[in-house]
Amino acid sequence: MEDVVTAIRVVPLGHYFVLSFLLFGIGVAGALLRRNILIIIMCLELMLNSVNLLLVALSAWYGDAGAQVMVFFIMLVAAAEVTVGLAILVQLKRNAEGVDINQLNRLKW
Amino acid sequence: MSALILISVLGVVLLYLGLFARKGILAPVGIIGLLGVMALFWTGWHIPHAWLGGMLEFDRFSIAFNLGMAAITVLIFLFGPDYYERMERHVAEQYALMLFSLAGGFILSAYHNLLMLFLGYEILSIPLYVLAGAKKYSLRSSEASLKYFLLGSFASALMLMGVALLYSLTGSFDLARLGEYMAGHGEGNLVLGFGLFFVVVGLAFKVGAVPFHFWVPDVYTGSPTLITTFMASVVKMAAFAGFYRLIAATGMPGSLATTMALLVLATLLVGNVAALRQTNFKRLMAYSSISHAGFLLLALLSHGGTQGGGLSVGGTLLFYTFTYSLATVGLFILFIIAKRANLGAEHNGIFQGLWHANPWLALCGLALLLSMAGIPLTAGFIAKYQVFLLAIGAGWLKVMGFGVLMALLGVYYYIMVAKEMFTPAAQPTTFVAARLNWLVITLCTAGILLLGLWPSLVTL
Repeated sequence: MEDVVTAIRVVPLGHYFVLSFLLFGIGVAGALLRRNILIIIMCLELMLNSVNLLLVALSAWYGDAGAQVMVFFIMLVAAAEVTVGLAILVQLKRNAEGVDINQLNRLKW
Repeated sequence: MSALILISVLGVVLLYLGLFARKGILAPVGIIGLLGVMALFWTGWHIPHAWLGGMLEFDRFSIAFNLGMAAITVLIFLFGPDYYERMERHVAEQYALMLFSLAGGFILSAYHNLLMLFLGYEILSIPLYVLAGAKKYSLRSSEASLKYFLLGSFASALMLMGVALLYSLTGSFDLARLGEYMAGHGEGNLVLGFGLFFVVVGLAFKVGAVPFHFWVPDVYTGSPTLITTFMASVVKMAAFAGFYRLIAATGMPGSLATTMALLVLATLLVGNVAALRQTNFKRLMAYSSISHAGFLLLALLSHGGTQGGGLSVGGTLLFYTFTYSLATVGLFILFIIAKRANLGAEHNGIFQGLWHANPWLALCGLALLLSMAGIPLTAGFIAKYQVFLLAIGAGWLKVMGFGVLMALLGVYYYIMVAKEMFTPAAQPTTFVAARLNWLVITLCTAGILLLGLWPSLVTL
């Protein structure tokens, strides 16, 4: 376990911040710009995982297990969320045709 | 806290009953269980206690909010048997999911740790995504559910980034540590600013504040009406309780105060002005809920000001959300009665002829609408009055003036609905109210009037 912590600490903390912000930015941009619902769900997962990366790095840096526990909870919640999301998508697909978000305009904004 | 365990077990029990028992037994079991939950909370009133190593803190604030949320859920469950009368399958799941969502609300009102904030937020939300799509063969319902899911997950991911940034500063998820850190290095810290901003965005999404309100009208309109009622009442209470706990720990530094003031102004303006043009009653209620969120945010904004007359921000939030929820439940049940009388139409005109067919229901509806609008003698007036007093105490005079203006504007659209109730219908319609629905509407009206005369009944 100690090896992992030292291995994580080899890279400066700022690099982890930059990488995780990049991933988060890609996720946000994808969720806002892409029109395919499956890709949007993937982008949401990417956002959550960028937070996971940041938390793991911080956990090694602070020597605090709290952030690692948080990572497990985030993975759990992400799994639950995706389960519900895909089920909703299947339901929608039965009622309408296709997975293009632009068709969803029965309820006007 | 045994109440939290009981409510989770109760949900599972209801799921099993759905497999083996008649659906008539579901709502009574749920209501009895909820009363048990309330009794367990009540025993903790005089002994505030922490749980899970201080991650949850059941103090008076959270217990009062939890009692309120459970009471409103009981009212919604009383409406359940009639609403689900013609539905044969999957009724138990709907009750159970509402209970699971309520458990998330309990956590959200009691968290003392950012991990629990995230968990409570998600436990509150995920069942709602499913519930919004509960009408399986309605495209409108599925669409509302998907929109809620996509926007909700996006907001929770943003909030999570905020939590991680705050953690990077203190090395702990504990709210007390965060408060200490902020007292030390308050202003001009970029990471702190962004962290708080992201968390506030996540919570502002859940309460439906402009500019994160896009989902509210769509989801309220598309969801089954019972679920809309639940979202507009219980979920709103839980979200504001969670918001308050964050603000109570961090205080209101200058940058956050500016953001919040902008949120308040935008929410009040968009909520009230957009509501003026709505013809669909559910959409009208959605925009009205946005405008009420504006007033509640104004109360939050006033945190830290001088508070005269025994007012506290937490107490005002409790009083406002509770009375608003009472009025919402009553009005939505009335809406269902009118909708059935008009073959499923949802425009405001469906209330026509209510006075001539059923004077008592029309009077109750009038009282509930006046409370929403904030006319004196109703609880809605006291609630808005408390918010404005708090805002004056904190020195937000211009924002408060704008709030008063918007409250006056808001009276118009509520009166328009009330006017429909007293207009004779073009062709005679019969409004059939089951005895239980009649009872719930009467209870809500009685509560509104009672709290309008004796506001001290609901305090911290």
